[in-house]
Amino acid sequence: MSEDPISEGAVTRVEIAELASLFDRFEFAFDPRSTAAKEAESEFEGGVKRLFDERVTPKHPDVSFAVFHCRVRSSCRAYLKKNAP
Amino acid sequence: MKACLDFNDILAIGRPEIEQMQRIGDSYASPDVPGACEAFTRQVRIVEGIVVHTYGVAATLAKKGDELGEVAEVWSRMSFFCQSALHVLIRLKDKYPYCGTPALYDLVLDYKLACDKRFKNASEELACQKTQFPKGLLPELK
Repeated sequence: MSEDPISEGAVTRVEIAELASLFDRFEFAFDPRSTAAKEAESEFEGGVKRLFDERVTPKHPDVSFAVFHCRVRSSCRAYLKKNAP
Repeated sequence: MKACLDFNDILAIGRPEIEQMQRIGDSYASPDVPGACEAFTRQVRIVEGIVVHTYGVAATLAKKGDELGEVAEVWSRMSFFCQSALHVLIRLKDKYPYCGTPALYDLVLDYKLACDKRFKNASEELACQKTQFPKGLLPELK
């Protein structure tokens, strides 16, 4: 059994990195009306919903989607700051 | 030279151009007066450039912001800036319907809504930090 505190069922760093990349492309887009920004946002929202349904709800039914969504956004901000070029 | 500008300085640079748009718009009785539409269109383009550029500055500051409160503040100020342009445009878009005004109104409205959404999300994230959340659900990044 792994001693990694990020156990089976949790969101991984790779998944946060992928979501952060999408988050960066819409949240900080210079043109919020661009197709690229809208597509990135749609993909981000779909990814967060999928993770919530598949990983959070089964093990943590007390966590609401709104709170999970907030926390993922904050994690994406933290990831982008930590990995700024 | 290492002079620094803060976001208020950037917003202050743009405000006179919004006021100038109002002055030019009000200075002609109608867009049919010779030179009116040309003068007004020129100022509409200047304001469009300023709104787009200032939004880009806001996005850059929001990305670099250390605190969520600071991020929310940037979007709140940018939204207010857009609102001040909309306040002028809402009247002038009817007076100058063929001088690029409705298109600028739509652009500024979309940018304002984008600011409001980002302000709301940053504020919600701030509130979320005070709520219980299971440890280990998200990776520790610090």
